[in-house]
Amino acid sequence: MTTLSPFKIVPLLLPAAFLIILLVLWLPERIELLDNVYMDTFKTSFVGILLEALPFVLAGALLSSLLQVFVPDEVLSRWIPKKPVPAILFACLLGVIFPVCECGMIPLVRRLIHKGMPVYVAIVFILSGPIINPVVYGATFMAFRSHPDLAYARMGLAFAVAFLIGLIVYVTVKKSPVRWSMERETGGNAHLHAARGGRLASVFVHTSDEFFDMGKYLIIGCLLTSAIQTFMVRESLSAIGGHPLGSYLFMMGLAFALSLCSTSDAFVASTFLHTFPAGSLIAFMVLGPMLDFKNAMMLMALFKTKFALYLFFLIAACVFVGSVLISAWL
Amino acid sequence: MNDSRSIRLHYLFRAAVLAAFALYILHLMQQDALHYYVAPALARWIRLCPVPLGLMALSLVIQALLGRSQVLCNCDHRLPAGFLKSTGLYGLFMLPLLLGFLLPDKALGSIAAAKKGISLSYSAMEPEKAVPSASTVPQKSITGTATEPKKAVTFETSDPYAKEFAELAKLLYAQPVIPVYPAIYSETFGAIEMFKEQFAGKEIAVSGFVYRDQTGGTSGPFAVSRFLVQCCTADATPFGIMVDPQHKLTLPADSWVKVQGKLKIVPQGGKDLIEIEASQITPIAQPQTPYIYTSADSVAAWKELQKDASKAK
Repeated sequence: MTTLSPFKIVPLLLPAAFLIILLVLWLPERIELLDNVYMDTFKTSFVGILLEALPFVLAGALLSSLLQVFVPDEVLSRWIPKKPVPAILFACLLGVIFPVCECGMIPLVRRLIHKGMPVYVAIVFILSGPIINPVVYGATFMAFRSHPDLAYARMGLAFAVAFLIGLIVYVTVKKSPVRWSMERETGGNAHLHAARGGRLASVFVHTSDEFFDMGKYLIIGCLLTSAIQTFMVRESLSAIGGHPLGSYLFMMGLAFALSLCSTSDAFVASTFLHTFPAGSLIAFMVLGPMLDFKNAMMLMALFKTKFALYLFFLIAACVFVGSVLISAWL
Repeated sequence: MNDSRSIRLHYLFRAAVLAAFALYILHLMQQDALHYYVAPALARWIRLCPVPLGLMALSLVIQALLGRSQVLCNCDHRLPAGFLKSTGLYGLFMLPLLLGFLLPDKALGSIAAAKKGISLSYSAMEPEKAVPSASTVPQKSITGTATEPKKAVTFETSDPYAKEFAELAKLLYAQPVIPVYPAIYSETFGAIEMFKEQFAGKEIAVSGFVYRDQTGGTSGPFAVSRFLVQCCTADATPFGIMVDPQHKLTLPADSWVKVQGKLKIVPQGGKDLIEIEASQITPIAQPQTPYIYTSADSVAAWKELQKDASKAK
């Protein structure tokens, strides 16, 4: 296995150093190559999305490290009900206590799984947490002020989808779908307690581990999202809105591609109210927080690829069917 | 397994990246450039980020320099193995920093507006406030009159959510020239649009960037536009008001202007749009905060702004 020993990388450092010098000397003169309107738009949305997610990712990583260092494993498993249905209901309401947005969710959930939370309960929390919480409810209510039923429908559908998927995963998945590399971690505890600077320092060392683990997926997700934001023409696609079922698929695709934060997507959805059926807006607002570019990347890191794809399929299918059904009442 | 020396090296690299992120945020704060990327409500939280980032970097440096070797064990298999993987990882984290430091901070402009699809009326942008009023506006009302010397104009609505707009409309109508404050930009146009019949012919002054659709040249009608930001630039919604410049006027796209003129209603595509018949168009510098945000209570905000304006005089 190759290691990053300082001696081994010396031959590689030379070309790297050369490259850096070249970049430093050449780039300032050629900066106008990069400096065009598309690049500016790309940069503005890329940095915007990244900065938006940063506090939440840090909060999630910090919370998960605090759990790791200060909360013994047994405590959590004592809290979670043993029977599947109460456990799923418990997970659905966890979001009310922990209003974590989807970016902070994955590091936290990963820690909870290590602490003994069953995978199906964790998945219900991942799906429902970013929607069923007071902050998102308030934002949705604000965005659809004269259609409060849309806010209720969003909460209701999110609850139903999370509950259903929790049950399906409980019944169908027996082997742990968590990636092996993410599972082997129990040994870390004892070592880190001996870290210099005591427990507090070990919390921050852990936080930075989490930050780098999740950050790479977050950055790739942000890159893709901002590329779509920069180059995709919305109007060219909205012609699909005319088809009754096409509009549902379109809005779900849009939610996946835009990767908006669940607290602000309702405002974007409200701009489509006149052109798209209300049910498709519900699909947009329920699918987006559960599954988008940004957190699909992070889910792939947490779960084995096969299970992650299975989960994506379940989410998309449940949200699609659910939002078509719910549109009968809207 | 990585040996302790390479772990120390990794920790130092990570500390440097974290410190660079903290510095980048401090740099944005110092340049007062955070508002190019996120709404003020969110910027509050981002301002706090350098604290945990700094502490994380500091703890990593302490571990790397002072940690006992047997403690530095990569049991979690979290550190990337191999030079290529490490370079890839840290390169990825350097990317936003490079983009951030190398390219100038710029507000979104016409290109983004064209991709996102500009809204030329308030109801298309945030339909919820304006829709119910469409039917309630024409109703005759008894209360809520703003008396003008010549005729009484009423602003009444039965919809509880539109009350705020009716209230704002009354205040706006009393002005000889309606100022459009950035803080309540969207609410001001929402109120005007809701009572557009009453507001037709009123004088208004508004600033924004010049937006033309792809077919237009550098002269002719344009929209004086702003981006409405709820959370960050991902959800920025472009919003504009059509301007009839009256005579040929060369204005490049994305240049900032202040437009003063009369409001009029123009039918377009089966809908009534409001348009400004410009009497005066002055190029201005890009304002400190180029985006607009929503305000929780536009009437209170208006009163506050009016107080400040009269104090300034």
